[in-house]
Amino acid sequence: MRKVFAVIRREFVTRVRTRAFVISTILGPLFMGVLIFLPVFLAGRETGAKPIVVVDAASGDFGDLMVTALQESRIGPSSTGRPRYSVQRVLAMGRAQLVADSLTALIGRSRGPEGAPVGFVVLTDDALATGAVAYFGSNVGSLSDMESLRGTMRPVIQTERLVQEQVDTAVVRRATAPIELQTSKITEGKLTGETGTSSFILAYAMTFILYISLLLYGIQVMSSVLEEKTSRIMEVLSSSLSPFQLMLGKVVGVGSVGLFQLGIWAAAALYLTANLVPVLHLFHLSADAAADISVPTIPPTLLIIFLVFFLLGFMLYASLYAAVGAMCSTQQDTQQAQQPVMIGIVAGFMCMFPVLNDPSGSLARTLSLIPFVAPFVTPLRYSIAPLPPGELLLSMGATLVGVLAIIWLASRIYRVGILAYGKRPTFKELWSWVRTA
Amino acid sequence: MSQAAILLQHVTKRFAGHTAIHDLSLEVPRGGIFGLLGPNGAGKTTTIRMILHVITPDEGTITLLGGEGTGRELAHRVGYLPEERGLYKKMRVLDHLIFLAEIRSLSRAEARRRSLQWLDRLGLHDWTNHKVEDLSKGMQQKVQFIGALLHEPELVILDEPFSGLDPVNSQVMKDVVVEIARGGRTVLFSTHIMEQAEKMCDRVAIIARGEKILDGSLAEIKAGAGKRHVALAYHRDAARAARVLEDRKLVARVDDYGASAEVELAAGADSDELLRSLVTSGVGLSRFEIVEPSLQSIFIDRVGRDAATAPATEDAHA
Repeated sequence: MRKVFAVIRREFVTRVRTRAFVISTILGPLFMGVLIFLPVFLAGRETGAKPIVVVDAASGDFGDLMVTALQESRIGPSSTGRPRYSVQRVLAMGRAQLVADSLTALIGRSRGPEGAPVGFVVLTDDALATGAVAYFGSNVGSLSDMESLRGTMRPVIQTERLVQEQVDTAVVRRATAPIELQTSKITEGKLTGETGTSSFILAYAMTFILYISLLLYGIQVMSSVLEEKTSRIMEVLSSSLSPFQLMLGKVVGVGSVGLFQLGIWAAAALYLTANLVPVLHLFHLSADAAADISVPTIPPTLLIIFLVFFLLGFMLYASLYAAVGAMCSTQQDTQQAQQPVMIGIVAGFMCMFPVLNDPSGSLARTLSLIPFVAPFVTPLRYSIAPLPPGELLLSMGATLVGVLAIIWLASRIYRVGILAYGKRPTFKELWSWVRTA
Repeated sequence: MSQAAILLQHVTKRFAGHTAIHDLSLEVPRGGIFGLLGPNGAGKTTTIRMILHVITPDEGTITLLGGEGTGRELAHRVGYLPEERGLYKKMRVLDHLIFLAEIRSLSRAEARRRSLQWLDRLGLHDWTNHKVEDLSKGMQQKVQFIGALLHEPELVILDEPFSGLDPVNSQVMKDVVVEIARGGRTVLFSTHIMEQAEKMCDRVAIIARGEKILDGSLAEIKAGAGKRHVALAYHRDAARAARVLEDRKLVARVDDYGASAEVELAAGADSDELLRSLVTSGVGLSRFEIVEPSLQSIFIDRVGRDAATAPATEDAHA
């Protein structure tokens, strides 16, 4: 046991001492901080509304209504937000094409004139009838821009159609008033004070951390095994430790570096959230800005579940990476050999999206039982929807069994691989490695 | 059980396509220096790896230090310097030595104390806190050598310990090896350099192509080879000497070194007769001595010249 501990200590100490570790530990939260603070910064500094042009070739007051609706569109709450657009209207009855052509020449230039529009909407009677409104602009690739534009225009068109059908304007206005869904999350029968967004952010952050850590530290396990092979120190190691002890020491050693780093980040995050106002003050932001930052609270049970699956997932993928390192002899070999493992991790991350859509559906339930993706899926499900304890335990059990099986398999490959040099083994050879006594 | 430090009984090891070791039995007694000799690819490293339990034999048994466990279980009593030298390049010398001692079950404090002593002794004191990659190859080799000895093993196994070392460092390492053996511990080292083995070993075993050719104490082996060897040196005419030595009635075999030679007399030939022919042919004889055969000549005699270069395929595993 002392020997295994020596291996763990070596892995831990040599890694934590490197410049790369220090830099990534500092840059990690900085990066995350930027992710959190940047929107606040940008919101505070946004110079103003997007200039757009309404090319009005429609009859009646369609154009008037549209311009008003666009002008009233706000970023954020409708009472306090800043205007989303600065609208310019061009009356173009009968010459819409001509106006559109001249506007096109102005848009999307790298050095356009000050206040040049980002795009223009063409309003025609036809548009009203069919509901197909043409928008031309440099920002059509932005899904959020287009979504908000559509959201602004939809009630205008609906209103206009109803008015044409002789419905009273006041009634129409009431009927088409926008709906704001106010979300509050309930966990364990209590209001958590989180909105749907912050709960999503938390789930996303967890999955992302798992994804990044598995890739980052998994690859470290792999290259560390490879280093021992290429430097031939493996010979001395394996004359003193069994391959299983070696693999165990390495996986646990590198894993504890990962946990250590996560711990530092978690501590930093706790400190930041506890002292949000003074920290904001450092950045010359008022305390009000704190209101814009949604800090998700992490329930302790979720933290435990996340850690359990983090460890299971790490053991699984790190042993696979160890096996990959053992079956390769050069860095180039590993590029290819690690791909199946990497695909597993990426697939696990990708599972997040269908699971977010339907956290209690049969797909999510099935995925929770597959050891390769369960570490991603199950904590995610737990964080966004109620998860029956039975299912949670089943998922943990299935993952644990899978992890043990994979570790066994990986250690069989590792055992033979660490002393084999030269050509990378074929699958058939790998299988014979697994089977040899 | 046997008191042998290492006992191999009918050990066979096959690798894909060929047999690396075939039915090898070997006994290394406790104490002294044992040389495992053989041409490249003879199976020396394979044998050593099996002794250390890095790989397992397909057939036969290996008993270490009286049979108290496998090489790995006895790792705290065995020191090992592999042929392929390797250290963690990014680790500091002292940390590395402590790590090597720790995986051989030594405590950290003791490992540190002994490491510093050894570094001092082998003149690496100034390099204690440098990274391994800053050291020259010879220095790295010394570090690894120290690593094999820190836990004061009863059995020290060195695979080609002197290869790649300059004469000074070679001398330092040789002194350490001799000292270990003098302290009653056992050293097994492999080499293909016969002069080295001849000077240092109490006992040797010669293997070639995975089989044992002969083993025993150096004295026995030399006695067994008979006193039919003559060492010659000449300073005037090597060509004429070579012509004399071609006479198969006089000379059975020649190791020709140009200005000197070691010859084995033909059966029934008289050394006086050889002396007479050499003198009359005027080669400028400066040495003529009846000698024990050198290990080198015994080796070549027994192994055969062609075996000195093994088939390439064996090399990968040897």
